Amino acid sequence: MSDHTATMPMHAAADRRMKGLALLVAAAAGASVPLWTGNVPFVLILASQAVIAAIVALSLDLLMGSTGLLSFGHAAWYGFGAYLTGLAAKMLTPEMLLLLPLTVAVTILLSAIIGFVLVRQIGKTFAILTLALGQIMFALVFVMSGITGGEDGLQGIPVPTALGFQIAKPAVWYWLLYGILLASLAGAFHIRRSPLGKSWLAIRENTERARFIGLDTGTLKLLSYVVSASLAALAGGLFALFNGAASPDMLNWFESGKVLMYVVLGGVGTIIGPVIGAAVFTVTEHYVSSVTNSWLIYFGGFFVLIVIVAPGGLFGAGASLWARITTARRGASA
Amino acid sequence: MLAASLALNGLVMGSVLLLFSLGLTLIYGVGRIVNFAHGAFFSLGAMAGIWAANSGLPFWAALIVAPLGVGLLGVLLDWAVFARIRDRPMVDSLLLTFGLALFITGVLYEFGGRNVQILAIPPSLQGIVSLGAIKLPVYRVFLSALAILLTVALLLFLKNSDWGLRVRAANDDPEMGACLGIDRENLMHSVVGVSAALAAISGVVGAPIFTAYASVGDKILILAFMTVILGGLGSLRGAIVAAYVVGLITVFGEGYFGGQLALMLLFVLVMAMLINWPRGFFGEGRTE
Repeated sequence: MSDHTATMPMHAAADRRMKGLALLVAAAAGASVPLWTGNVPFVLILASQAVIAAIVALSLDLLMGSTGLLSFGHAAWYGFGAYLTGLAAKMLTPEMLLLLPLTVAVTILLSAIIGFVLVRQIGKTFAILTLALGQIMFALVFVMSGITGGEDGLQGIPVPTALGFQIAKPAVWYWLLYGILLASLAGAFHIRRSPLGKSWLAIRENTERARFIGLDTGTLKLLSYVVSASLAALAGGLFALFNGAASPDMLNWFESGKVLMYVVLGGVGTIIGPVIGAAVFTVTEHYVSSVTNSWLIYFGGFFVLIVIVAPGGLFGAGASLWARITTARRGASA
Repeated sequence: MLAASLALNGLVMGSVLLLFSLGLTLIYGVGRIVNFAHGAFFSLGAMAGIWAANSGLPFWAALIVAPLGVGLLGVLLDWAVFARIRDRPMVDSLLLTFGLALFITGVLYEFGGRNVQILAIPPSLQGIVSLGAIKLPVYRVFLSALAILLTVALLLFLKNSDWGLRVRAANDDPEMGACLGIDRENLMHSVVGVSAALAAISGVVGAPIFTAYASVGDKILILAFMTVILGGLGSLRGAIVAAYVVGLITVFGEGYFGGQLALMLLFVLVMAMLINWPRGFFGEGRTE
């Protein structure tokens, strides 16, 4: 027993170094995608979509994994960002460095107002209300069909520029999106280790106790909601600029469910899990739906199966398996 | 004049919503499950009506067969799927029922659910009744009468039968109920069955008005969620009042501002109400 505790820190340090190395290799592999897909532009576009999906998944995990608030309407903010950015690009300027901050600023304001009421609710009521919020945003597209294009979606978003240079090449787009994903990931990991992230986790584990030790749980939850909504809106804005169009499907509750699926598949609260989940899922979805028409059946069935057999997500299941193997090996060597 | 006619239609809408939401309240009360698949049961009922009509069965047959079939399916689902996550955190039940909803919708797409279809009203229920100067189709009167009748029957059954006693006990305190010898598994099977059957019957009778397609239940599910939140999660009498409030708001909103705006109006109202009364009309909803 004493031997075991003495070796723990060394193992922990080695583990951390291993994990850091693995992350670095994965990041480099992700960044190299445009280098080997040069002759198949479609793969690069799919990869870019996967990166956007990963940012959305990360944004939901910041809320769900940190504070334990389950949002069933995350597509609301994703779609909101897409429409807002698209409209601003058409009406004001195609300058990306102005558009995206504008979208984030408006989202912060709006999500703070809506979140103020939402975060007072817990659990089921919160989930249901966020679902309703998604439906409202969906309805809004049709109410304002004069400017949003209604059923046809928002078409003809101009090619964006950054500092006056047009961004049109798929490879440039990919690296831009990938850079934003890495930056968000770094931010998420940093928050997780900061006092703020620790207080969020405290709320997830036990809100009552968190309040007893003097945390302002309401404000902390609101902050988490706003951060999460803003990142989702940013991803939406990027998608609209990348795609040149936004459609009401982005606001459908199916879309919200998909984002939720990324997070659950990857493992709630693991930060890196949902990102991987989103990437894997987007690519799988593309190839499966090109083979079969009944994608929804497989999707729904798989969802049910995952919840029953692997509540921690594939990443969680993988991590516990890995832990079991390594402890077994350590036990054998000791 | 428009207002009076809208008020009547609001009552019709409220009655359907009531019948539909009762199942949602029941399943929540006993199993603490917020059933996102409830809308899919509605769609299933509506599509069953279409299938019956296409195979030459009369409307009445569909009205009986669909709830029986979907009710049995509900029992089966509870036994095979819901039972696996009985003691898991509530997040799991939300996710599971959501996946189930997608699955059922996907299956319905394969069986003719891609197109919007309208179930024909049976000949005996065609025509219009005049109440003074207000005209209302006979079918809508029938619809409300049936919904109210079933609701009253269910409430009486809950109040007077042995089964109802168990349901109410489990609703108030599941653990204490289990201590008193209530078989939670069997009770939950029956509750999910009844709940699914109620959704299916609303789907069949709603099909001539709300049409039938694979995701027809989505909109009414959102309305029903608003209903149970307004009434307080798990509160039966709250759900009854809230169903008519939501029905009237939706129909009046549609009449004066258009459907999508009505939905937004409803949402704003619910949010406003939650600020002061998070436990619903009678203050007996659960917030855990």
